[in-house]
Amino acid sequence: MSVQRQSDGTIVLSGPCPVEDAEPLLQLLQATPNAPCDWTSCGQLHTAVVQVILTARPALVGPCGDPWIERWVAPALQVRGRETNAGHSP
Amino acid sequence: MNDLQKQFIAEARELIQQANDDLIAAEREGFSGERIDRVFRVFHTLKGSAGVVDLPAMGLVLHAAEDVLAAIQAGRLGATSLVIDQALACLDQVATWVDDFEAQEALPLESGEAARKIAGALRSLAGEAGTASEHLTRARPDDDVVPDWARSLIEAQSLQGSAEHESTGSLFALSYEPHAGCFFNGDDPIDLIRRIPKLLVFRADAREQPPTLADLDPFSCNLRLQALSAASHTELSAIFRLVPDQVHIVALPPDALSAKTEGRHDTSAKELVRLVIEEQTQLVSLAKDRPSYISLVGSAIRAAANALRHLRFEDAAERVERAGAAAISQSNPTPLLTALDDVRRLLLDQPISGVDAKRTEASSQGASRPAAARLLRVDEARIDALVDLAGELLVVKNGFVHLAKRIESDASGGDLARALRSQNDALERLAGDLHGALLQLRMVPLAQLFRSFPRLVRDMSQQLGKEVSLVTRGETTESDKTIVDLLFEPVMHLVRNALDHGIETTDQRRVSGKALPATITLSAARMGDRLIVEVSDDGRGIDPAIVRNKARQNGLLPEDELAALSDEQVIDLIFSSGFSTASEVTDISGRGVGMDVVRATIDRIGGRVSLKSRVDFGTSVTLDLPMNIALLQIMVVEAGGQLLGIPMDAVSETVRVAPDRISRIKNNDGFVLHDRVVPICSLAKIMNLPTSESDRTQIRLVVVAEMAGRATALEVDAIRDRLEVVLKPMQGFLSNARGYAGTTLLGDGAVLLVLDLKEILS
Repeated sequence: MSVQRQSDGTIVLSGPCPVEDAEPLLQLLQATPNAPCDWTSCGQLHTAVVQVILTARPALVGPCGDPWIERWVAPALQVRGRETNAGHSP
Repeated sequence: MNDLQKQFIAEARELIQQANDDLIAAEREGFSGERIDRVFRVFHTLKGSAGVVDLPAMGLVLHAAEDVLAAIQAGRLGATSLVIDQALACLDQVATWVDDFEAQEALPLESGEAARKIAGALRSLAGEAGTASEHLTRARPDDDVVPDWARSLIEAQSLQGSAEHESTGSLFALSYEPHAGCFFNGDDPIDLIRRIPKLLVFRADAREQPPTLADLDPFSCNLRLQALSAASHTELSAIFRLVPDQVHIVALPPDALSAKTEGRHDTSAKELVRLVIEEQTQLVSLAKDRPSYISLVGSAIRAAANALRHLRFEDAAERVERAGAAAISQSNPTPLLTALDDVRRLLLDQPISGVDAKRTEASSQGASRPAAARLLRVDEARIDALVDLAGELLVVKNGFVHLAKRIESDASGGDLARALRSQNDALERLAGDLHGALLQLRMVPLAQLFRSFPRLVRDMSQQLGKEVSLVTRGETTESDKTIVDLLFEPVMHLVRNALDHGIETTDQRRVSGKALPATITLSAARMGDRLIVEVSDDGRGIDPAIVRNKARQNGLLPEDELAALSDEQVIDLIFSSGFSTASEVTDISGRGVGMDVVRATIDRIGGRVSLKSRVDFGTSVTLDLPMNIALLQIMVVEAGGQLLGIPMDAVSETVRVAPDRISRIKNNDGFVLHDRVVPICSLAKIMNLPTSESDRTQIRLVVVAEMAGRATALEVDAIRDRLEVVLKPMQGFLSNARGYAGTTLLGDGAVLLVLDLKEILS
């Protein structure tokens, strides 16, 4: 499972996120649209997952673990540094 | 044949049909910007897919057609009927090739030669206009052809700032709109973008109105991915070779990026244009409800468009002009105001409500249009399998009735029987609903049938030198696919007949002071559980005297019988085989074999054909059809000790005939019913079943059946139930048994033979 919610509410993407991850991620974001989303340890993101993030525009905890996404997609999204978000809960 | 090829065939057919429709409509109403764009896209997509399945000949003609369309698009070539003819001919050829490809997985050997010919003809049309399709895929270092979206990517480059770009000579902008269902094919569109070498800019945004989080479908791709790259065209085409229809690659002048810095000091020019646009916006909002509305709006459009053209924002200028035309024709400034606002945002580099200008236009024009229905393409056989299953379920359900009866007859089982019956009622409702829902899946709009006719009428009326317009009504009426498919041939015969025999020549119509063009009307409507399809024309009508003469000449009926017929009955004779009233045989409707085929086809699916005609006012043929043919209502009767099913659509009534009403006519018994003499036949005798010589003094039970306008009374021993059954055709060596329409299972598991009255009584 590469999409999980931590006890503090943060949604964490880890490892490669294939197309199947789009739905659980969407469900978590629908449940708590304001929850921060940590993508520092994710691997390659599938387009479907990127689409969910582009639509939901969650508060992202970066940098993104997928360097290509970090370079080309992240700048268009609001990404906060990890430190500034420490202790944040929804 | 692999999946890709199969998909190509299905898609190509749809695209061809769509382009056909648009071209015909364009000939009638002219090319609107939207329509020419649509036709262009279809040809372009077809060309791309033809390349994917490796059909170079097809690609060649489509490419040439694209040149012609591009010339029209650019206003260098008028959409004359010669041009439309050529485009249609090209589509016809492509359609034939698609058929060939389906049959043999290859094009015929001579296709290359044919392709060169067609392409040559098309090129000569586009010749003076110059080849234009190049701008789609090839480098044209000409700023005029850089679309707005590519321009905005260039602007964005400064933001995403990629220092590694050195002017290497090539620069391409790319817009990739993956199909909504691409995830299901295992596509990962961003992964394709990742592979682009020398990527300079990447942007992803929503293609349609971005959904809210709540109604986002995670498995439907709604993205538009755009990129700028310094890679070569070959490299890019190789990456996107499997999705050529979804990607749009535009060559940019290599110095576009450095020009961009120049473009920056253009900001002042842009700023100026933006002010001009804002001023026009004010003017238009003030113009509302003023008597000078049209002239005010007109000058606003001109000013805005000129300013935009100054910036070479060609697309935006056109958009304003189109919206302006709409604002004037509808006396409503809203479309223009929306367009101006979008353009203003464009100049401010603000996103236009998440979508680009073209899309906004599409959605604002289609505001009243419902969101595009999502269609699922399912193999017809799968639906049929489901319908069969639901049919079996009905049979099982009927079994419960039988069980309940048995338990009831058992004295102790009263309560149980009641319980069983109520369960049965529930099951009946559910099975019925299921069956209904499944049949609904097979329902298609009549538009599928009607859409082939504008082309047919156009081609034939040109060939005959008649002026005819086709009106269609009730296209949204739905009916079972089987019916709609079966209707094509009969309706085509009727339309051809109307064109050939019904409609007068232009000169004749002028002389008799009739309206030009003549009208052929195709209409469909639902009446209860029947589908009524009507083909009518305002032509010369059918003269009973001529039909009578013709019938006499052809020896269709003996003289005395012919004389006894009313005019209506005489006109009905045109449905007899081997009848033609046209004084000469033409290659359009041939030798009068049409009308009898029409009646036979319609009869076969349980329909009726009737014809009304008034001399000089026209003819109308009505087809009265069942909505679907999967479920049949039958009456179970007993004759000669056996149960038999009679289709209810043939039964007009059941009558108990007292012996004193029966009289002997020649060798037959008959009786008078509704002022007609109806012969009585014993069903047992007809079916060669053992007959008990009926008692002449007893009341006799008959089922009156109407066949081909004649009533016959079938004598039966008893009438049992009325059932709705799923009819199975006779199988194995029974399939040749005459007189039976098929079989069905009864509640107790017995097989019931259902009669084909038409065969029995003829």
